[in-house]
Amino acid sequence: MNLALLKPGEKGKITKITASGPFKRRLMDMGMLVGELVLVKKVAPLGDPIQVAVKNYNLSLRKKEAAGILVEKID
Amino acid sequence: MSKYTANKNIITVAVAGNPNSGKSTLINAVAGTMLYVGNWPGVTVEKKEAEFEFQGRKIRLVDLPGTYSLSPYTQEEIIARDYLVHKQPDVILAVVDSTNLERNLYLAIQLMELDIPVVVALNVYDELEKKGYRINIRAMENMLGDKLIPTVATQKKGTDKLFKAIIEVADNPAAYRPKQLTYDEDIEDAVKYVEQYIKEKHPLLAEKYPLRWLALKLMEGDRQVMQETRLENEGFLAEGAVNHLRKAHGDDIEAIMADARYAQVTGLAREVLKKPDILKIELTEKIDRVVLNRFLGIPLFLMAMWLVFKLTFDVSMPFVDWADAVITGPFTRWVEVILGFVRVPGWVVSLATDGIIAGVGFVLIFVPVIFAMMFFITFLEGSGYMARAAFVMDRAMHSMGLHGKSFIPMLLGFGCNVPAIYATRTLENPRDKALTALLIPLMSCGARLPVYVLFVGALFPTHSGTVLWSLYMMGILLAVLIGIVFKHTLFRGEAPMFIMELPPYRLPSMRSLTIHTWEKVKHFIVKAGTYILAVSVLVWFLLNMPWGVKHKRDSLLGQAGQMVAPVLAPLGFGNWEAASALITGIIAKEIIIGTMAEIYIEEKKDKEMRTTPTFTEDLKKIGISFAAAVEDSVTNVFSTLKIASISTDNQAESRGLISVIQDTYTPLSAYAFMSFVLLYMPCMVVAIAMKHEFGTWKWFWIAFAYEIILAWTVAFVIYQGGSLLGLGG
Repeated sequence: MNLALLKPGEKGKITKITASGPFKRRLMDMGMLVGELVLVKKVAPLGDPIQVAVKNYNLSLRKKEAAGILVEKID
Repeated sequence: MSKYTANKNIITVAVAGNPNSGKSTLINAVAGTMLYVGNWPGVTVEKKEAEFEFQGRKIRLVDLPGTYSLSPYTQEEIIARDYLVHKQPDVILAVVDSTNLERNLYLAIQLMELDIPVVVALNVYDELEKKGYRINIRAMENMLGDKLIPTVATQKKGTDKLFKAIIEVADNPAAYRPKQLTYDEDIEDAVKYVEQYIKEKHPLLAEKYPLRWLALKLMEGDRQVMQETRLENEGFLAEGAVNHLRKAHGDDIEAIMADARYAQVTGLAREVLKKPDILKIELTEKIDRVVLNRFLGIPLFLMAMWLVFKLTFDVSMPFVDWADAVITGPFTRWVEVILGFVRVPGWVVSLATDGIIAGVGFVLIFVPVIFAMMFFITFLEGSGYMARAAFVMDRAMHSMGLHGKSFIPMLLGFGCNVPAIYATRTLENPRDKALTALLIPLMSCGARLPVYVLFVGALFPTHSGTVLWSLYMMGILLAVLIGIVFKHTLFRGEAPMFIMELPPYRLPSMRSLTIHTWEKVKHFIVKAGTYILAVSVLVWFLLNMPWGVKHKRDSLLGQAGQMVAPVLAPLGFGNWEAASALITGIIAKEIIIGTMAEIYIEEKKDKEMRTTPTFTEDLKKIGISFAAAVEDSVTNVFSTLKIASISTDNQAESRGLISVIQDTYTPLSAYAFMSFVLLYMPCMVVAIAMKHEFGTWKWFWIAFAYEIILAWTVAFVIYQGGSLLGLGG
């Protein structure tokens, strides 16, 4: 399961970051860390990118980028 | 070390912080008009500096680019940390958005690793209080060893205290050495190991860099630091304690460090931040529900854009017309009178009025547009809506290799390409920015419209709307096409990441808006002004050389036109008149008509009789017309569905032109000509804006090269294809 597959309103816990290089570092700098809770809030009107809440703020990223974040869905 | 000596003459303060932390608002609030805006050497990232006195002490502020971290991956981050590491400011002012403590402190603790005293501004403190949060500042100061001052930059609250604290810290640096937060034991062991190694083997590096910071960066495998220190091949990072760390946690020390830093910040926030019992639904949340709604998102965005476009051009156009009228009217007349009085030769008068004043006037008529546009763009950016616009449009723009934020500069391009180029400033990534700027000239600007209007009026009187529409669409479609081509050629490689914060909505302060806007306008007048003036004078010479030339055909311009004409023959307009007009069109495309009028209408209505008004009458008129411009500007805003555009004045002149054009062009060659005008090159002012914005002529030359080839090809296909299909008649 990765972050891009979660639907709006669904929550996940990050299990692994498979992205690499600058992408990975940027994600981590923005607070996307293993163990962190992420809530998918919205999908853009054209289907991409998505808006997520992490560390109490809003972040948007393309689905392709979100796919590099593995999550475990939480109910 | 020297930085721990007290009482410096001038205190250098580097201002660091996350984007959207209110950093620039804070700087505008304290330094305001003293700000000097330039670029960081070699890059397009803006650098702001200011020197001012505060309570008898001289302070030099250096604004670092907004960053989330000090990693070596973005231009902004590299600039910020290079400055901090190598220039060693006396104090770092870390501007923190108190409502987003964790992510902001993540940067702050990285700043503290640099062993420079840090003063933290807990900005947007009013919002935090309004939300019912509390921060135990004393406890936080104890944990960090920094001074913390709550501020509200938009209201200039807390800034005096902040600078008092900065002076206090700068005078007693030893007492305010930032506490080094300790990581887990195995990390600390590794740090010690690396520090020891550097001290022994590379004492010079230990002098040059903050030691702990260097050790941490080397452990993270920071590419840039590795290269700078040339320690890449020494292998010590695979030994001893570092090796242990690697084995225990896998290879990725960078991730471990990010984790550890966030863990510290989270722990700290948990201790000092008291959350309210009931969390209110925030305003931002409510606005986003509407603005980012699946169905409403795009219509609302388009409406917002229409409003920005309308406001920009409606508000500015009356002032453009006013400035134009004043300069070509009374001002030119005064200069003529004065020059006549001192009895200079006629050509000097002509050079002064047709060359220099026309050039200056040309610079000035851009000022209202740039002012209005920068104002609204800064507002969009500062309010937080720009990020939403990017979010809504990214999917569409991404298919052309662009970023969601590219949409706005492109749209503004339909009004005028010049402010559009400046609007690319909102794009952080140099690649996105360059590609957007390259495509902007394909957006048919207001200056091209008079040319279309004339030709369409002359040759397509019954289908004027459709023909006009088709030209605009041609520009858009070609932009999509060229965008895709560039994406796979010039800009090959992975698209830059989109990962972007959606900041809370905030009302930008008027002071910040006006300062920012004025900076841009000032820059334009000074920098672009010089070039534009030079080119106008050059064109004047082309038109009037050799001395005493009687017929335009024999002027340098006419000769150049005759040389170029054969190249244009396959496009259907291979005459020197068209070629000469196109050459002068490099200044601005609406000048094409002016040149044609001058060439075709030989007997220039010799100085129409006019009663010369007196100086006071002129002044009065200028005042009255300015008042009228203000009125027009206001009524324009409220009159819906009307967008002002640069009007084709001088009806009589164009009527004469229309009949000449009907004689010279067929509908087919006219269409080819209009397409050519749409595409053939960015005008000179756009070129200068590009140079100005990117610090190099490179992008202009690329735009120039592809556009001229594109224009020729398109016009060729239209004319030859049309002729084959029998549309030539």
